[in-house]
Amino acid sequence: MNKRLAGAVTLGLTAALVMTACGSETPAGESTAEGGRVTLKLVAADYGDGPTAENSGEKFWKGVVDEFQAANPGIKIEYQVINWNDIDKQVATMVQNGQVPDILQTGDYSGFVKDGLLYKSEEVLSSTTASDMLEKFAEFGKVDGVGYGIPFVSSARALFYNKDLFDKAGVAEPPKTWDELKAAAGKLKAAGVSQPFGLPLGNEEAQAESFLWFMGNGGGYKDASGNWAIDSPANVETFTYLKGLVSAGLTTPNPGTKNRKDVWADFAAGKVGMVNGGPMSIPIFEKGGLSNFGVAPIPGKAGPLETTLGVEDWIMAFNKNGHKEEIKKFFDFFYGGTAAQKISDTYKLLPVTKSGIEKLGSDEKLKPFLDALPNATFYPFQDPKWSEVNTQIKQTIGGAVDGDPKEILGAIQKVATSD
Amino acid sequence: MQQTLTPARVMRALAPLVWIGPAVVLIGVVVVWPVVVMIQSSFLRISRFGVVQGANGVDNYTKLFAEPDFDGIMVRSLLWVVAVVTITVVLSLGLAQLFNQRFPGRRLARWALIAPWAASVLMTAIIFKWMLDPEVGLINMILREIGVLDALGGADADPLGNAATAMPWLVFVAVFVSLPFTTYALLAGLSAIPPDVYEAARIDGASKPRIYWSITLPLLRPALIVAALINVMNVFNSFPIIWAMTHGQPGYSTATSTIFMYILKGSDIGESAAMSVVNFGMVIVLTVIFLRVTKWRTEVR
Repeated sequence: MNKRLAGAVTLGLTAALVMTACGSETPAGESTAEGGRVTLKLVAADYGDGPTAENSGEKFWKGVVDEFQAANPGIKIEYQVINWNDIDKQVATMVQNGQVPDILQTGDYSGFVKDGLLYKSEEVLSSTTASDMLEKFAEFGKVDGVGYGIPFVSSARALFYNKDLFDKAGVAEPPKTWDELKAAAGKLKAAGVSQPFGLPLGNEEAQAESFLWFMGNGGGYKDASGNWAIDSPANVETFTYLKGLVSAGLTTPNPGTKNRKDVWADFAAGKVGMVNGGPMSIPIFEKGGLSNFGVAPIPGKAGPLETTLGVEDWIMAFNKNGHKEEIKKFFDFFYGGTAAQKISDTYKLLPVTKSGIEKLGSDEKLKPFLDALPNATFYPFQDPKWSEVNTQIKQTIGGAVDGDPKEILGAIQKVATSD
Repeated sequence: MQQTLTPARVMRALAPLVWIGPAVVLIGVVVVWPVVVMIQSSFLRISRFGVVQGANGVDNYTKLFAEPDFDGIMVRSLLWVVAVVTITVVLSLGLAQLFNQRFPGRRLARWALIAPWAASVLMTAIIFKWMLDPEVGLINMILREIGVLDALGGADADPLGNAATAMPWLVFVAVFVSLPFTTYALLAGLSAIPPDVYEAARIDGASKPRIYWSITLPLLRPALIVAALINVMNVFNSFPIIWAMTHGQPGYSTATSTIFMYILKGSDIGESAAMSVVNFGMVIVLTVIFLRVTKWRTEVR
């Protein structure tokens, strides 16, 4: 009798287990209206130094959400902050399982457009907010002339150099050409600098570093007519030059395995003479104890770059759960209030609105980057092949300073042009 | 005795089900179901953004097998398993023997052996990566002090930047984290061998190597097989060590199939699922081969 009772209890427990398992399969992204309150789910990338850092994305979004909810009692926002390394994969899993968020903030939007997952920008932006966006940025958010990606923040790149090390090595000015760069690096090396030029070609952001070098030789990922040209003669020449720098020991050792984060840390520690960086690297360098650095245009083969790499991140709205009006309210609040400004202050990222850029105009440190923005060149992220090409670049392009540049770049070109 | 089908009998026959039921449900939900989804996904066309775009036949597999790095990665995965497991087992046999002796401080030494096991594998891997940092790595600084290295910061001080020098370090860390479990499994096996067998051997005048070869090893075989088998599966699927220390770079030259699968997830989810299926098949094949070779069913004579 006792046994049977125990059996019944176990069966009950089992059933309960199964039921809860099924119960938890209700999509977390599906918003539910509780007592007239609409819940918006927001997923965002972390621009800070991780969940426990003072500048964590958690803290930033909590501040924004608290303020928004206080002003809009009818809307509740559930936010989830994911680090940059995982956000693409995690969002892909959400989409695959049908648990899309209402609002997503990340580095790419174009892949969602084709399958009709997103609201058009005009559906979720009020005319005031829409007209405040810089046209050039908004333009990159369009696929076939219709806007889907809403510019979130931007950034530009320039050359950072350590003034103390330059003095020590007797280099008077930051280099403007590749020849000057090589000469300056040689002097730094002779003065005992272990990494004259910091060259991160590891998987974190090899696509950015390579692009900056390609630009210096009039190259890029695509040619003027918009065809993939990764193994163009100009690009091969670029990597042949880099290979020379590497084999002379003038760069970070084994660049194909070194990440931006680590090379920036080495620069902050005074071990690196020059490195390409952006406004967001300023707080990192200062926190590391380096303040005597200069900012200059990035050297090209014959002269400094007239353009630079512009990076633009996006925010977008998914149409699966409806909630167009609530999303619009949130975007108005975000761009119209202090939130967008707070991002620039906390992370030294550049604004995407006219009003935001005006407000920052007086910041001396950000000025070189703000000035570079109008001429910036962007990744070909409107091309659906870009994400696959990007993965391949991150993993393999560093090998081109080690092996045969033509062969390595050719392999990436093959990925880009295969169907 | 006549068997009649009374309700009580049926209940008794079904009783075991009640007890194993929760485990069966758990295995079904967390093991079998994901395998089914994995195999399904490998035949679907899925965009990088997670949108399922329909059936893809065997295209994911064709694409995977045509990857220029695929063959090298599979060979490397096998070598990785063989190297790590062999070195781990050989070292553990010695360590287990040592810890089975009575010596002052044995308790302390046994506790110390647990340390690498208790620390998270990811943490251990990151610490080794830091110790091998070309500029400020502890190991490099020591090498510099004793005159093996000329200068910090250069390619010579960067063993993880080059596949030929990175692989031995990866194997070293993998062995380091596998030793505690293996040693303890063997230690348990050793202490289960009855002392009178040894006594009999000694009376018969057997030499020490002879005793080890003819008594200890055969009696240790069940423990040895289990320890090695669990290691084979663990090491084959091992992800954090290589990911934290090299990301499979430069290129894919330190990537195993598990790392490759994860990288593929960033560009083609269907192809990544195909890699998972291949991986899954490999583990099963390796296990079957292993069990055949070790003749695990045969009794000790």
